[in-house]
Amino acid sequence: MNIITAKNIKRSFGKDNLITHVLRGIDIDIREGEFVAIMGKSGAGKSTLMYQLSVLDTPTEGEIVVDGTNIVNLSEQEKTEFRLNTLGYVFQDYALVPDLSARENIMMPLLMRGEDWEKATQKSDRALDDVGLAGKYLNLPSELSGGEQQRVAIARAIASSPKIIFADEPTANLDSISGEQIIELLTKLNREQHQTVVMVTHEREYALGVHRIIYMEDGVVVKEEKLREL
Amino acid sequence: MRSLRIGLLLGLRQIQRASLWTTSLIIFVMMLTFLNLIAVSGILVGLIEGAEQAVRKSALGDVVITTLDNQDHILETNSFVREIATYPEISTYSVRYKSGGTLEANYKERRDLSGERDTAAVTVTGIDPIQEHAMTGLGDLLVEGEYLNPNEEGYILIGIYYIEEYAQQFGDVFDTVSDISPGDTVRLTVGDITKEFIVKGIIESKVDEVNLATYIPEREFRRLFNRLDRNADQIVIRTVEPSDNASVVASMKASGLDAYAKILTYEENLPKFLIDIKNTFNVLGTFIGSIGIIVASITIFIIIFINALSRRRHIGILKGIGIDRKAIEIAYVIQAAFYALSGSALGALLTYGFLVPYFKENPIQFPFSDGILSADPETTFYKFIVLFIITLIAGFIPAWLIAKQNTLNAILGRK
Repeated sequence: MNIITAKNIKRSFGKDNLITHVLRGIDIDIREGEFVAIMGKSGAGKSTLMYQLSVLDTPTEGEIVVDGTNIVNLSEQEKTEFRLNTLGYVFQDYALVPDLSARENIMMPLLMRGEDWEKATQKSDRALDDVGLAGKYLNLPSELSGGEQQRVAIARAIASSPKIIFADEPTANLDSISGEQIIELLTKLNREQHQTVVMVTHEREYALGVHRIIYMEDGVVVKEEKLREL
Repeated sequence: MRSLRIGLLLGLRQIQRASLWTTSLIIFVMMLTFLNLIAVSGILVGLIEGAEQAVRKSALGDVVITTLDNQDHILETNSFVREIATYPEISTYSVRYKSGGTLEANYKERRDLSGERDTAAVTVTGIDPIQEHAMTGLGDLLVEGEYLNPNEEGYILIGIYYIEEYAQQFGDVFDTVSDISPGDTVRLTVGDITKEFIVKGIIESKVDEVNLATYIPEREFRRLFNRLDRNADQIVIRTVEPSDNASVVASMKASGLDAYAKILTYEENLPKFLIDIKNTFNVLGTFIGSIGIIVASITIFIIIFINALSRRRHIGILKGIGIDRKAIEIAYVIQAAFYALSGSALGALLTYGFLVPYFKENPIQFPFSDGILSADPETTFYKFIVLFIITLIAGFIPAWLIAKQNTLNAILGRK
């Protein structure tokens, strides 16, 4: 069953004669529980595609249905709520709030979903335990290494058990060992908790554990490679 | 509610993790703004309040009894005084007789009888020296000489505005006699009657009414002015609790005493121009203070704007992971509230813990008053509320401007 269906997605920037067409009509289906990597050279449009699928941006044309909801016509408020309740994000540079401890960073979306303080604390601590950061609950982001910060970001993404996790080049700022650990974590999440993961990466070795790789070039999908069965 | 909870967490943590120096500086600016708002108008109003307090202390007391509009004197003064003496709420009073006369000095040394005489038109006040001193502390206002002795006759106290050497600092405003010292002889002429007095003392006060008076014992006044009915012109009363003066007046009126005299509280007796000046000073002070508020609100706006702008990407990420925009705005409003509350609390502590007591002990010396710092807690509270609300708005607007930006643009740092 498809959890993401995108039809004829186009995204352009600028106006009049200065329009840049970044996505030129993309059709994508992603099945529930699938781990998909989007790859391509710089400027291929892979991140832009991910922003459309992850409800962070609105396509110029096309239709996107995520978890049964047509997200294109949602209001800003509805998009925010949708992201909160359905999606999890791992950004390239961790994107943690510097004033909050690791635990508090993870608690934010949980509290926003209406969970009480105690339950949110328990869930965030458990998520930190799951990513191998037990005992670092009270550390500020500045007191953690890059790899640890990215693990906190993953813990934040998984703590509220979202249906889909979007990871935008999650290994880009990490050394190879930390990068591998992050990919292992995402793979483990996908395998054990059957969460759908959509990851943008430009390093093929990090994409070897995924179900499918989508290759992009100049704003279109040029190839798909199935690595393993769902 | 959820947004409030998240906003509180974010706001508190931002305050907690902010640079101590920056936070201290912002709080200091807010404290100065608060002081500017309270102290400037407080000192301006305090000048008038100081004058009012001086008049209340040295001249009029808490309740003022004067003649009815259609009468020359307070009717049945003796009975009136006997009645008020029974009021337990009244701690002391003084009965005054007042009239005009001509004071002449240096007449014994005058050789040229065709030359100008050294005279001044004066207000003569007949008092019971003991009662008056108990009521207004008149005996403590002497700059030269001694106070009247109730057992002596033929002595006079003169206010400084009638003496050229003292009054000349105010220009040629007052009608004066010159070269007078205690022990000198002067004469007072009322109609056809002239009586000599020895100057017993010279009185100086912040209150014009005292400086523009001459005092003689009431017995001599009644004889000089032929006031044999013993009806006085003014009775001033001090109540045990000054703030209870209105109820004392009400009680006196209920007893029917207002048929004999006009009975007013000190506040009712205040001249309208004084109230107008006080209100004008208050408005002026508030206006000057308002400039301070505008400066502070701009400061807060810039601080919050820079703060929010430097965290634009984090704000985008928070929105990206599903945090409501309101929560982010609340976080910045909480910061602004923290600055306003801390600054105002410090300002209030400084005002009521130090400045008000200091100016009470060391009033600012003005010719017409001992200037105090007037900081009525109720007015202060209202001004604080204004400062607080404006600060919140100044904190909200930049947060709103940044938080409403496109989420993805904020995350990617795009314009």
